[in-house]
Amino acid sequence: MTLETQSDTAPAPLRMLILTGIALTVGGAASMAAIALVDLVALLNTVLLVAPKARVQWESAPGLVAMMTILVPTLGGLIVGLIHRHLSSAGRPFGPPDVIEAVQFHKPLPDLRSGLVSTLTAALSLGTGASVGQYGPMVYLGAIFGGFAHRLRLGVPNLASIAVSCGVAAAISTAFNAPIAGVLFAHEVVLRHYATRAFVPVTVASVAGYVIANVIFERPALFRIEFPGVAHGYEFGFVALLGLAVALAAIVFMRLLLTIGPALARWIRWPEARTAMAGLAVGLTALVLPDVLGIGTSTLRFATIDGAFGLGELIVLIAAKIFLTALCIGAGFSGGAFSPSLLIGSLIGVLFWTLASGLAGVPTSGAAIYAIGGMMAFASAVIGAPLTCILIVFELTRNYDVTIAAMVAVVFSNLVSHRAFGRSLFDVQLARRGIDFSLGRDRAHFAALKVVDFLQPHAVTVTEDDRPSDVAERLRAQGWREAFVLDPEGRLLGVFSPSAQDDPPRVAQGLAPARLVFDDETDLADAMERLRGFVGDAVPVVSGETGRYLGAVSEADLVSAWLDEGARLRKEENASI
Amino acid sequence: MRRSDLLLLMLAVIATPARADDLTIVSWGGAYETAQRQAVIAPFAAETGLDVDVVVYDGSWTALAERGVPEGWDVIDMLADQARVACAHGLLLKIDPNSLFAPASLADFTPFAPDRCAVPQNAYARVMAFDDRAFSGVKPTRIEDFFDTARFPGPRAVQRSPDGILEWALLAEGVPPEQIYGLLSTDRGLRLAFRKLDTIRDDIIWWQDAAAPAAMLADGRAVMAAGFNGRFFDVAQRGRAPIDIVWDGRIIGTEVWAIAADTDAPDAARAFVMHAANPDTMARLATQIPYGPTRRSAFDRIGINQDLSVPMRAHLPNAPQHPGRALVRESGWHANTEDLRQRRFRDWLAAED
Repeated sequence: MTLETQSDTAPAPLRMLILTGIALTVGGAASMAAIALVDLVALLNTVLLVAPKARVQWESAPGLVAMMTILVPTLGGLIVGLIHRHLSSAGRPFGPPDVIEAVQFHKPLPDLRSGLVSTLTAALSLGTGASVGQYGPMVYLGAIFGGFAHRLRLGVPNLASIAVSCGVAAAISTAFNAPIAGVLFAHEVVLRHYATRAFVPVTVASVAGYVIANVIFERPALFRIEFPGVAHGYEFGFVALLGLAVALAAIVFMRLLLTIGPALARWIRWPEARTAMAGLAVGLTALVLPDVLGIGTSTLRFATIDGAFGLGELIVLIAAKIFLTALCIGAGFSGGAFSPSLLIGSLIGVLFWTLASGLAGVPTSGAAIYAIGGMMAFASAVIGAPLTCILIVFELTRNYDVTIAAMVAVVFSNLVSHRAFGRSLFDVQLARRGIDFSLGRDRAHFAALKVVDFLQPHAVTVTEDDRPSDVAERLRAQGWREAFVLDPEGRLLGVFSPSAQDDPPRVAQGLAPARLVFDDETDLADAMERLRGFVGDAVPVVSGETGRYLGAVSEADLVSAWLDEGARLRKEENASI
Repeated sequence: MRRSDLLLLMLAVIATPARADDLTIVSWGGAYETAQRQAVIAPFAAETGLDVDVVVYDGSWTALAERGVPEGWDVIDMLADQARVACAHGLLLKIDPNSLFAPASLADFTPFAPDRCAVPQNAYARVMAFDDRAFSGVKPTRIEDFFDTARFPGPRAVQRSPDGILEWALLAEGVPPEQIYGLLSTDRGLRLAFRKLDTIRDDIIWWQDAAAPAAMLADGRAVMAAGFNGRFFDVAQRGRAPIDIVWDGRIIGTEVWAIAADTDAPDAARAFVMHAANPDTMARLATQIPYGPTRRSAFDRIGINQDLSVPMRAHLPNAPQHPGRALVRESGWHANTEDLRQRRFRDWLAAED
């Protein structure tokens, strides 16, 4: 992680042209790729008898349908696992966390081949009915197109990050027919700032995606609903309660998802056996509960129809979907958690409605509002993007009443999940990789800078047996006041600072313990905290593993690094064009 | 096939010695058959000098299996999905669209081109219609109203078949048209559709003859009816009955011509199908009865019905100005789910409580 070295920036009008051109290109490409992915998945679902519409046409051959139900996800899992193992350098699928990491730290995305492999396996996973979502892969696919900008040197600072965000926005805009939500998603989840330089191209890309999806290809809206309005005032209280309940379920889901992966890796040695096993679990469950197969668009629709599910049926379906989704993603199927979240959340909403109106007998405005509130509350807890979720409801339903009700559910869900789990599944996954956004974007950036990268080449090291007068001489020559005393193995024993009057005969006698020691894991944010109250000119850095002295960093260098990084972030976050 | 080839084929047909009943054409009877006779069959008979006989059936492929051979059926007017099932059962003569039609003509067909058993001939719609006298104030305007016996009380005429009514049941539940067939493919979807049907069970009068629903509205036996747009049009216009069509929830289907596998006059049958598939013939039919042509080039030729002085284009099921939701029948899906839907429908009928 280094400061960006964009010395020669293009003039502003040219930058404007470049950004708009890139936004249109990336947005258009990402949108068409997203449509292609959806169509490919739909085709596979039909051919492989995953889609209900295909299954019912073979209704006269129940044996065939049952066999396909079990075999398709299992073999799909096996193939996905094998492809990951042999064709991808990372050996795993990519998703939004990888995009966030690349954009935040201005790094290139993982290698193109692995990225395309990840997209291919996503199509296979979704096509064979694994319980995973399509939006994560779509976001990553969109990001790939933006990622090409990393190779361009066009004189626009942070161009690659902006271009990747453009791809993400266009993918979401296409997927949901929701250009406003696309813009917000890119900012809320990926960019995490609202600089005009990024906002404008991201919006252009999002609208380009919308135009392609709506005007050119005339895709139907993902989720159309007619809703007369919220009939009773107290129902806003209900949806707030629903938000709280949904948050708890979302936390269970995310914890399960994060635990199941490592646990499976311990139990089953072969990665492809893990995915095949998860696929088998999906297939066997689908024999009795076909709703768990795939993305579950029909199930999502049923959730808005009053009384489509019985109470027991709902509970079983929610539990099965939570477990199978966690299992599929944990086992290594390629796909996101967003669309399953929509489904699980809406089912919880319906469960809530069934309990409130069916059992408690309270008059309500129908299942739809609870289904949508629950859907978005769950999804927002998982992706950590409340504004995006609220806007998605608005753009999907174009209904003000539903949006307000869903908004209440979303914020209460976020309240709980943020406090008890973390801002989002993505952020917690990133935190496990050492990138912690929980205290903000700047903190994460400071935390990404390691003090070991700022070592002073000329720090003075001595041994216990050196003579203090020689040490003093060397320190004077380098302009330092303290020398670092090492043992014969190179481990740090302490510091020695020669005094003017009575030097001891050997360094050993004047040895003082170091007041502050950093190791090679210490980051800038941490170091600055610990430097509070430190007096001295340099801090020794030792290897955390062996204890060997690696060098020393000067306080002045750390402060400069801190100021530079802070200035760079401010510049990025407030750039006009 | 070029026009000259068609002439040659017709000459060949004429050259063969004519017998009584050269060609038996099977259709649905009523106003539809009358229109077909005027627009399609009579001109063909006049041109070829063949003796054409018309037989009526109920539109099911099973009727073809039972009556086809004994009654010497040659050309049959079928729903696209029924033709698919009949084709799969080997009841229809295979045709080769590429030898019958030029590539430009094949591309002219809509919504689909002729396949190995059937040539699309017109687009019809299953629509809801009501008796204007029954509702003096607010009139029904949407499919939901068909199931709303509180606001719109009275008997409803419905075909004794799962066709159409299941789609309407889910539309009335708020399911958007593009998801109807996906949802009807699940057990839950069928259950919900029949649950909706339960709400009007006691108000249904069943019909089996396509002419019945319009007649039931006209003579007051029903206040609302599910039927075919052409029949309602005919009774409203020619019979001066106070019937109005609700275009919301219209289910647009395609009617095809097919040739029986056991036909004794394959050449004459082919010549007839070619004649019927001509844009001029299609436009002529559409001016008699509002069933839309299945060739794009025929749309522009549709004018005013001379008997009624009614401009016909506005009454076609696929006229762009119709409001509300429209569903397009998916013949493959209908053909392959026929058994299941019939079984579930019979079970529902039997479960009278």
